[in-house]
Amino acid sequence: MGTSVIARRAGLLATLALCVILLALVPKLPPYYVRVADSILIYIILAVGLNLVVGYAGLLDLGFIAFYAVGAYAYAFLASGQFDIHLPFIVILFIGAAAGAIAGVLLGFPVLKLRGDYLAIVTLSFGEIIRIAINNADELTNGPQGIAGLDRASLFGLPLTSPVHFYWLLLALAIIICASVYYMERSILGKAWRALREDQDVVRGLGINTTTLKLLAFALSAAIGGAGGVIFGSFQRFVSPESFTFQESLLVVLIIIIGGVGNIVGVIAGAIVLVVLPEVLHFAAQYRLLIYGIVLVTVIVLRPGGLVSPRFNLSFIIRKVRNLWLSPSKT
Amino acid sequence: MALALENVSKHFGSLVAIKNLSLTFDVGSVYSIIGPNGAGKSTVVNMIAGSYSVTSGAIRLGASVLNRLPKHRVAQLGIARTYQNLRLFDGMTVLENLEVCFFPQSWLTYLTGARRLGKSERLDICHACLERFGLSDVADTLAGDLPYGRQKILELARAFVTEAPIVLLDEPAAGLNHTETKDMAALIASLKRADRAIILVEHDMDMVMSISDRIDVLNYGELLCSGTPELVRTNEKVQEAYLGTTEELDTIRKLAQGRRAQGGLRSNAGIVRH
Repeated sequence: MGTSVIARRAGLLATLALCVILLALVPKLPPYYVRVADSILIYIILAVGLNLVVGYAGLLDLGFIAFYAVGAYAYAFLASGQFDIHLPFIVILFIGAAAGAIAGVLLGFPVLKLRGDYLAIVTLSFGEIIRIAINNADELTNGPQGIAGLDRASLFGLPLTSPVHFYWLLLALAIIICASVYYMERSILGKAWRALREDQDVVRGLGINTTTLKLLAFALSAAIGGAGGVIFGSFQRFVSPESFTFQESLLVVLIIIIGGVGNIVGVIAGAIVLVVLPEVLHFAAQYRLLIYGIVLVTVIVLRPGGLVSPRFNLSFIIRKVRNLWLSPSKT
Repeated sequence: MALALENVSKHFGSLVAIKNLSLTFDVGSVYSIIGPNGAGKSTVVNMIAGSYSVTSGAIRLGASVLNRLPKHRVAQLGIARTYQNLRLFDGMTVLENLEVCFFPQSWLTYLTGARRLGKSERLDICHACLERFGLSDVADTLAGDLPYGRQKILELARAFVTEAPIVLLDEPAAGLNHTETKDMAALIASLKRADRAIILVEHDMDMVMSISDRIDVLNYGELLCSGTPELVRTNEKVQEAYLGTTEELDTIRKLAQGRRAQGGLRSNAGIVRH
């Protein structure tokens, strides 16, 4: 007791304060870096969402970017001159999430009986179908030209104009989403998903309807994808099918695999690595895919579980911090 | 509550695995289904649990016809089971393996928050169950890291944690050594309750004879004989099914004697036998 406890708590608070200060300092950086930070945050949101399906429920979904597209086009339709509808940003955020969830259920229903490779093939096709449909529905989406001049988003009267504004918005959303997913992971729903990943038949034998369990994973994950899409649309103020190619789906899956499947901390690390890497190596831009490939192979060979060990997860960190704060003596 | 099989048949293509089987299992007793390999024991368990469809006949639990329901509905009505080969959730802790059993049965109840059990209530039940099965010390260990014997016990605990009225145990002694098998038999016997039927499929005759109230012997998918352990032990047809007819037995005995004589000669010739 005494000084050592105070010193330890002070150290902990200082570390925490340092994290907050670092996050708060990002907007002071030159705009380029803020944009990179925005990009990291968007991919964190997407990967945490996809991780619900891939990491927890164990269903490989290669068409995730379709839900992102649904969200982005929801913003484009509802906040532009396209149909002359101009809904507030926050309303569209919820509509986009709901539209994503509905698309997720629509995809989920027919593919629920499939497993492994077959599921991956069908979801991949779904992602491509959505993109190709957008590309060809000229009256609705302007086809490959996309929809430009989307409304400037504003939140509670504050206009969101610069990357800095979006940085705060994305940071808040990323924290909310990570916290909710963490809560879900620890709830009985998360445990049922993990059980589903291990042995689907036994889960049914315990009296659990695996169909609704999987649909729930698809819907929640797609809702997060949809919400991410709305922010993307409002940030770019321009949407076109080009942004939603298979490569984007693949990138989100790669983030999960390289970071650590089923681990929020891993996914955050994966997003940072895979967004920053091409920026650092931008002189070799045409070798982007090659770089991803090398990173992937290196990670799979050296750390097959991902960069972040499965044990170093959010609950581990929270437990560690709590112990540091509470325990009366250093052990 | 009683589980009843009524003229149940199961065909796999042209193979008749179960032929017109009728059995009733009342709560309050321990039942064993035995029979030579391929007699259809596991098929019966899988049909009751809803893993296999029924070709003809009906399986009833109280007023419900189980064989018309999807597997998870069958489990919800109160049928729990273990598996011939261990099927735990290896990557989850011992405690989590039990907790999963309390997942809300309908997702509407989940979304509206009207869950079947609160979290603390759920944990209390699971901890009490671990205590009962002697697994409290490993509550936070990953199930896959447990030694085989304790994994078997955990699977048993998972089948009993929800207090299902019908519990199917598919070879609980498989792979256990002699002492572990004895402990397992004592454990299962101690789980007998007035509101629960335990149905066992097992090869270990000591276990079957010591804990069963009734034994049902299957052979080629048909009920050969059904009754108390004493009755089954002395039944000629059962002995035939397991060991062969008296004539066949005589032949086997003669062959064995002949071999023993040969063995004697060989050892005289200086061959060391281990």
